[in-house]
Amino acid sequence: MSSADQGLETTFKATAKRSIADRLANELRFVPVAVGLLALFIFFATQSEVFLTSRNLNNLMIQSTVTGIIALGLVFVLLTGEIDLSVAGTSGVASVFMAKLVVDFGAPVGVAVFAGVMCGVLIGAASGRWITLIGVPSFVVTLGVGLVLNGVQLMILPRTGRYNLLNTGVDEIASTTISGTGAWIIFAVAVGAVSWVRWSSYHARKSQRLPASFGQMVLLPVAIIGGSLLVLVLVLSSLKGLPMPIILFLGLLGGCAYLTGETRFGLYLYAIGNSAEAARRAGINVNRIKIAAFAIAGGLAAFAGILAASRILGVSVSSGGGIGGGALLLESIAAAVIGGVSLFGGRGRIVGVLFGAMIIATVSNGLNLMGVANEARLIVTGLLLVLAVSIDRGIEKIAGPS
Amino acid sequence: MALDRVVAEPILELEGISKSYGGVKALTDVSLTLRPGEVVALVGDNGAGKSTLVKTMAGVVKPDKGRYTFEGKNVSINGPSDASDLGIQTVYQDLSLCNNLDAVQNLFLGREQTLPWWRGGRIQRAECEVRARQVLRKLRLDSIALDRNVGAMSGGQRQNIAIARSILWEPKVVLLDEPTAALSHSAAEQVGVLIRELAAHGLAVLVISHDIHHFVIDVTDRIEVLRLGQNAASFSSKDVTGERVVNAMVGGEEGINSAG
Ligand SMILES: Nc1ncnc2c1ncn2[C@@H]1O[C@H](COP(=O)(O)OP(=O)(O)O)[C@@H](O)[C@H]1O
Ligand SMILES: [Mg+2]
Repeated sequence: MSSADQGLETTFKATAKRSIADRLANELRFVPVAVGLLALFIFFATQSEVFLTSRNLNNLMIQSTVTGIIALGLVFVLLTGEIDLSVAGTSGVASVFMAKLVVDFGAPVGVAVFAGVMCGVLIGAASGRWITLIGVPSFVVTLGVGLVLNGVQLMILPRTGRYNLLNTGVDEIASTTISGTGAWIIFAVAVGAVSWVRWSSYHARKSQRLPASFGQMVLLPVAIIGGSLLVLVLVLSSLKGLPMPIILFLGLLGGCAYLTGETRFGLYLYAIGNSAEAARRAGINVNRIKIAAFAIAGGLAAFAGILAASRILGVSVSSGGGIGGGALLLESIAAAVIGGVSLFGGRGRIVGVLFGAMIIATVSNGLNLMGVANEARLIVTGLLLVLAVSIDRGIEKIAGPS
Repeated sequence: MALDRVVAEPILELEGISKSYGGVKALTDVSLTLRPGEVVALVGDNGAGKSTLVKTMAGVVKPDKGRYTFEGKNVSINGPSDASDLGIQTVYQDLSLCNNLDAVQNLFLGREQTLPWWRGGRIQRAECEVRARQVLRKLRLDSIALDRNVGAMSGGQRQNIAIARSILWEPKVVLLDEPTAALSHSAAEQVGVLIRELAAHGLAVLVISHDIHHFVIDVTDRIEVLRLGQNAASFSSKDVTGERVVNAMVGGEEGINSAG
């Protein structure tokens, strides 16, 4: 290595001197939440013998998928500093629309699911267009849109108030499990994808002769993600195999993490969330990015609604959380916020949603096993939300302004 | 700090620029010349028209009348992108940085290199970082941590990043609106060193400042005074006192001294 190259590495050594608090406030933001989840696991394991069984963990994770997928989409919108209160309504309408296509019109399942998701994308894009065009705050527009969607949902439901999806093929989406070789192929693909992304970042830095640590950039993340997936596959394989909802949730999680973390679109979400004016001056089409964020939120919400319909074998008045979005809307927002996504824009990571959704599902599942009543569940979830955001704030204060 | 040097051909010339907002005459018949390698201070009281003049050069404000000459050719500027296409970059007072992004991300914001979509469309962070290191090295800003959020940095460092960003795409002219207003004395000194560095690389630099006695006299080559939207005086920085400049700003001195 020439002396000029060594110069490059030594003069920028300030790079290495970042405080733990600074890291916790940024790329390690999910660590406190992950620790919290672990603590909950330990607590419930001591309270109930059933909690750590494969069957219960399987149920717990499936419980987290619908909320989790809606929360994934919400992150895109939250990062830009906006909010979408119509996601639950969108999931309800899209699932009823999909069911109507299948039951009343005999549409193939694939076509109906695609149409349902596109319906969500269009709803999101339309809200986004309205918000950016007129400049009405997004919480007002999407609150209104959510109520409109609740009305539409009631209108397109049949007089019985319900479409039954048993034996329509839609039910098979959620009930499918993949075991044996199939499960290991999925495992290999997932680990391969993560390794490839991490390794190519590392390789690009190395080939530009920038400082790069193989351990930190490749080995550690691949070991953590690969190890977790390995445990997951082993635990779930002892039952029927990998349930499709979990595969879909984790697949979408990976896709969203890539989109927000690696692409220009993702970077612009963060930039806009911090300063829309600075983004505009940098030549970013702020409105287009925001509309895309709402469209993604709508599409993922629709997909989550369809998944929920498939799981409970039908759609009804209460699909999409009922009027106003109910617990589904609140828990989706809570999943994102507990996972470290700021409601003020520009902060948080997709991976946080995994922990946020799991925490909500764990509290619900664990308290249920302990025989605690439903009202306690709401109280505990609410307190955890406040606690999570408070811890986040505390870390941010220590890390300094940004 | 002004050096004796061969006077270069003007790169940017404004002649007879006027601009009113309704009844308010922000600029009346103002002229200004910028040369490569020269740092010009634009000074004047609040409301004297400094920002309006800079915005005119940046293409943000369209003047009512006047000539705009760039590299000897008469040009018409119809928006900020016309100005940046010519090689004119502006650093606004609020810096327009994203506090939640790091230095490299801010330097390249809106102009990231990416892989084609069929190869994953990823931002080529390593390539951007190499380029960022080169630019920061050239400006002797090696102490800036590249992967820290700029929101966690000092005012001086943020100002320097904003300036570095403006020269990333090798402009010919850099305009700075009050780069030292929010800075401590030592941070302002560092920004002054950086501005001299830009001029040493052959850029024409215009800087608005209120810090006459230190920053303006020490850092710039020539001082142009605006008063009530008109050219009031012009001084060579090396043979003028702060008092005379301030006098010209507030109207205590008659006549126009020619720059040395
Ligand atoms: N967008 C605007 N609309 C109306 N008046 C303006 C506008 N911009 C500047 N002015 C007026 O023009 C004059 C010059 O302003 P400005 O260029 O900002 O002065 P300076 O930067 O020297 O303080 C002031 O009287 C100001 O009120
Ligand atoms: Mg001004």
